[in-house]
Amino acid sequence: MGVRQMIEADSLTKEYGNVTAVNRVSFTVTEGELFGLLGPNGSGKTTMIRMLTGQVRPTSGSARVMGLDAAKDPIGVRGLVGIIPEQETPPSFLTAEEYLRFVARIRSLDNVDERCDRWFDLLEFGDKRDVLCKDLSRGTRQKLMFSQAFLHEPRLALIDEPLINLDPIMQRAVKDFLREYVQGGGTVFFSTHILEIAEEICDRIGIIHNGRLLHAGQLEDLVGSGRHLESFFLDLVRGDAGA
Amino acid sequence: MPVPDLFLAMMKEEWRMHSTIFGSLGFALFPAVVAVFAFLGSLTLPLFADVLPYDAVALLAHILFLLMGVMVGSFGLMGREFMNRRFGQASLVAYASRSLPVSERRIFGAFLVKDTVYYILLYVLPFAAGFAAATPFIGLEPGLGLLAFVSLALAFLFGLSVVCFLSTLYARSVALLAGTAAVLAVLALTVFQLGAITVSAVLPPYAFFLDPKVEPLAISLLLVLVPAAISVLFVTVDYPDRTKRFANSLDPLAERLRALGSAHFIAKDALDLLRSEGGAGKVIFSFLFPLGLVWVCLRVLIRFIPGIDPLVVFSALLGVISATIYNWLTEFDSFTSYAFLPVEVSEVIDAKLKSYGVANLLPLAVLVLAAATSGGAGTFFPALAAFASVSAYTLAVTVYLTGLHPNVMLYHASVFLRYLLAISPALLLSRGRTKWQAWEMPGY
Repeated sequence: MGVRQMIEADSLTKEYGNVTAVNRVSFTVTEGELFGLLGPNGSGKTTMIRMLTGQVRPTSGSARVMGLDAAKDPIGVRGLVGIIPEQETPPSFLTAEEYLRFVARIRSLDNVDERCDRWFDLLEFGDKRDVLCKDLSRGTRQKLMFSQAFLHEPRLALIDEPLINLDPIMQRAVKDFLREYVQGGGTVFFSTHILEIAEEICDRIGIIHNGRLLHAGQLEDLVGSGRHLESFFLDLVRGDAGA
Repeated sequence: MPVPDLFLAMMKEEWRMHSTIFGSLGFALFPAVVAVFAFLGSLTLPLFADVLPYDAVALLAHILFLLMGVMVGSFGLMGREFMNRRFGQASLVAYASRSLPVSERRIFGAFLVKDTVYYILLYVLPFAAGFAAATPFIGLEPGLGLLAFVSLALAFLFGLSVVCFLSTLYARSVALLAGTAAVLAVLALTVFQLGAITVSAVLPPYAFFLDPKVEPLAISLLLVLVPAAISVLFVTVDYPDRTKRFANSLDPLAERLRALGSAHFIAKDALDLLRSEGGAGKVIFSFLFPLGLVWVCLRVLIRFIPGIDPLVVFSALLGVISATIYNWLTEFDSFTSYAFLPVEVSEVIDAKLKSYGVANLLPLAVLVLAAATSGGAGTFFPALAAFASVSAYTLAVTVYLTGLHPNVMLYHASVFLRYLLAISPALLLSRGRTKWQAWEMPGY
């Protein structure tokens, strides 16, 4: 039985007027992998995730996610995967619990009580379940966004800056959860500009700059060659900027 | 930070906010559209003069600008939400009160001045200019354009300052607001019962337009300045200092609405409206208050237009105003929060339409009340038909032109022009329909 490709990006390109946000990027992510897309601010990471989840149509190229064409069947893709967008907040006037129930209804889930309780317990914010989302701290909102993404137990999660706004204790918990999730057969694609996160938990990384994928490969190959991720990243990006 | 600097910063922000959304050209053309519309509309006045005298048109224009002032004020100033929603998320100057030693009173004062200048330039000046340009062609004095600018600006500011005043009362104490509203209602009812209601009493800026003397001008200025000054002096902006907790209401509410389909979306809309600052008070500000004014003004207007059925005209206007409920239904949603879920935009719009249908029970109740209190039972069903058809039509136009963003898209010049062109024939049709009913009624 062959390895299953969860994400297949083929020459993905996105142009906004004269600006090319993502430029002919191709890569694959296989089942059970934790793939980190690294890049400076404005390098095209968020646009890439939006194209992979059908929120933005590519100018050219294609993306298949869990076998579905993201541009042609965005609802199908979003039904299968879990997504945590960057800097997105849950609806202001629902409570944390109501928001999870709202998402559960959209996704037609059963056992909603158990699913909600599990995430309130895991991320330790059950005491905030009846608080309006607008009154939650940023960290708690991020916990809520994390919970909604995994509420339906997806086999693939796409996360834009997964640890943003979380305190060190919760960062540890999330990193542990992601590793366990991948060990249990799940797949994670996430973007970040914080190299330490990638260095700690990723199986494979991609480095993107000015919309172009400069590198994609196993993290252990890099470590095996005796190089630090930070120096490797800086050399690549600075070299690309000077080119 | 001096008020003039705050004012300039807010003006720049307001312009950049709008021009960023619509493009500089698109938004810059908005006043031009208003001017052209006013010019063309003014040219048609002689055609309708036998049905709609100039004085009646002038009264309608003043009511329109009064309502615009109410809308602008109530949209920006929802008591405690004022700083959080309007300023906190949409205006960088808002942060001045948090990071610099600038008082909220000073910010609020600058905000009022900014709204005054900005919206007079955006709405009143172009409208008056369009009217002034048409005066030579319709046999009116060109000086009427200037007079119209002053009196319409006063009508707009009257609406704006009254809403600011009421919102300041609300921010201080809901009981104080309720008490003031009750006193005003009793006064209005007493005056109405005594038959002492006059155009001047209802709308002094209009009285100034008809008779440009010192007295109506002074009364108008007092009605603008006193409420505005009180609202600035006593403004209070409560930052959220307590956490609101609610038991799960989404599921029980959705269960009750299950028959409608998309019940969880409708339930969410209801919770958004009820839990956002102002609660049902928002409806009073932006819906019932203008409707009350329309009703009172219509009672005056019927003196000018024989044969008009006020209930049917009211129901048509009710239909147009009730379509603004759609703006409220979309006001509290951030639609990017649906973009990562398996939901189609059309599904969200469909749910909004259903929410709108449920919310229209309120204007329906208003119509029933108006029919019952005005002795208009005989024309209730035509009025109901006028209300339902105009409401549905106006909503359809709004959704078609603005999608899920009516609160911003209607400021786009081309969108607004298409909106006006689409809505106006419906109102004219409604007016013509009224005349037909009047002719068919024996003894009218």
